Amino acid sequence: MQNVAVLYLDEDDRKVWEGTLAGVPGLVSITVGSDPTVSLQSLRSMRSTLRVVALSAQLYPGKYSELVPMLREACPGAELLLVSRDGSAPPLKPLFADRIRHLTISPAVEEPHSESLPAVIAMLVERRPWEIASCLREGTPVHSYRLDSSEDKELLIGQLERVLSGEGEEMELLRQKGSLLADELLENAMYNAPRGSRGDRLFSKGQRRAMLPQEQITFSFGFDGNTLALKLTDNWGSLEPDQVLEYLTRNEEPSSMNDDAGGRGLFIIWRFLDQFHVDVEPGQRTTVGGQLQLCSKLEPDSPRGFHITKHMEEKAA
Amino acid sequence: MNNLSHDLKGTHDYFALEGTIDANSEGLLKEIPGKVRTSQVRFDFGKAGRINSMGIALLLRCFKEIREKAEIRLEGLSQMHSMLFKMTGVFLLATPAEQHADRKEGSA
Repeated sequence: MQNVAVLYLDEDDRKVWEGTLAGVPGLVSITVGSDPTVSLQSLRSMRSTLRVVALSAQLYPGKYSELVPMLREACPGAELLLVSRDGSAPPLKPLFADRIRHLTISPAVEEPHSESLPAVIAMLVERRPWEIASCLREGTPVHSYRLDSSEDKELLIGQLERVLSGEGEEMELLRQKGSLLADELLENAMYNAPRGSRGDRLFSKGQRRAMLPQEQITFSFGFDGNTLALKLTDNWGSLEPDQVLEYLTRNEEPSSMNDDAGGRGLFIIWRFLDQFHVDVEPGQRTTVGGQLQLCSKLEPDSPRGFHITKHMEEKAA
Repeated sequence: MNNLSHDLKGTHDYFALEGTIDANSEGLLKEIPGKVRTSQVRFDFGKAGRINSMGIALLLRCFKEIREKAEIRLEGLSQMHSMLFKMTGVFLLATPAEQHADRKEGSA
């Protein structure tokens, strides 16, 4: 069954990706060339089975910036995934405008611990949420803590720092990144997620607060000696996927030194992770997390990949 | 932020920040612009620890106000502080004077 299509700009573009994508089951490769209408026609013939359409960043937004609406019309049930190489990552503005919620940025030279594109495609085909264990070596313990009050934040950051014990400059930097990520994830869940019936925030940042009786905030992390994975789940489900993209786009502008810019915490989380995951079930659950490597080769100020998933849409589809 | 110290050192104002910079630092950071007396202000982050997004927002607010009357130089930055300041636009308001690549946050 053909359930994954990958669209390339040309033969050179296809060659760049063919090794990375080897072994993806049900994959159809399409070289768009100078006329996307032929490719769209091919996709229409597969629309009943297609689950994922991957687009090379050489093709979109580079060459055909208007491609996404046409793709959505041709195969409305498919998730769109943009695949890019490090150093040629696309700007976020067009992705935000076209609501592209999945972006992978593969290193120019494949690394053993970098995100596996076939694994990402499998996750999207099966509509599975990201799991913390999926990027950790088998058998790595995953530590999970449920918050009782805002006073727990520093205790949990301390727990994480103990798991990241070790000497050396890289380890020290990973510990600092991990602490900041934990801080932002916890603050986001404690102060941004809780909303009233009109969408208004229930708590202010810095305010001491106990969790509400029905409120569940769980912080999980694991470290296998090379990869640190973190995940924060709350049961508010108040984060809008499009809002996440808007926050990332707004804060990406270096001139946006607006002290009131919303979503700076999510932007920082995105930029300090190697891969960023948001999974929302509206009104039920929000999970934010991702992974980073001890020896990450990604430039600190370059964009990262992301996967932003809204589960209700899938149920309704 | 646990502590903030201020000195007038010759031709410039000198502020040393200590500890985590977050929502709880608002009171101390709000006081800073009113204390500036010279046309150059130096901030020492050598003993500053983690700076989260709320801390960044407060620093931006503080630096914007100071920039109306003085230049800002940042000292004692860790690699982590520098990465954070670069990606959030802090360096558009304040110039790093030096950088310690291997310095631990919050250590002298």
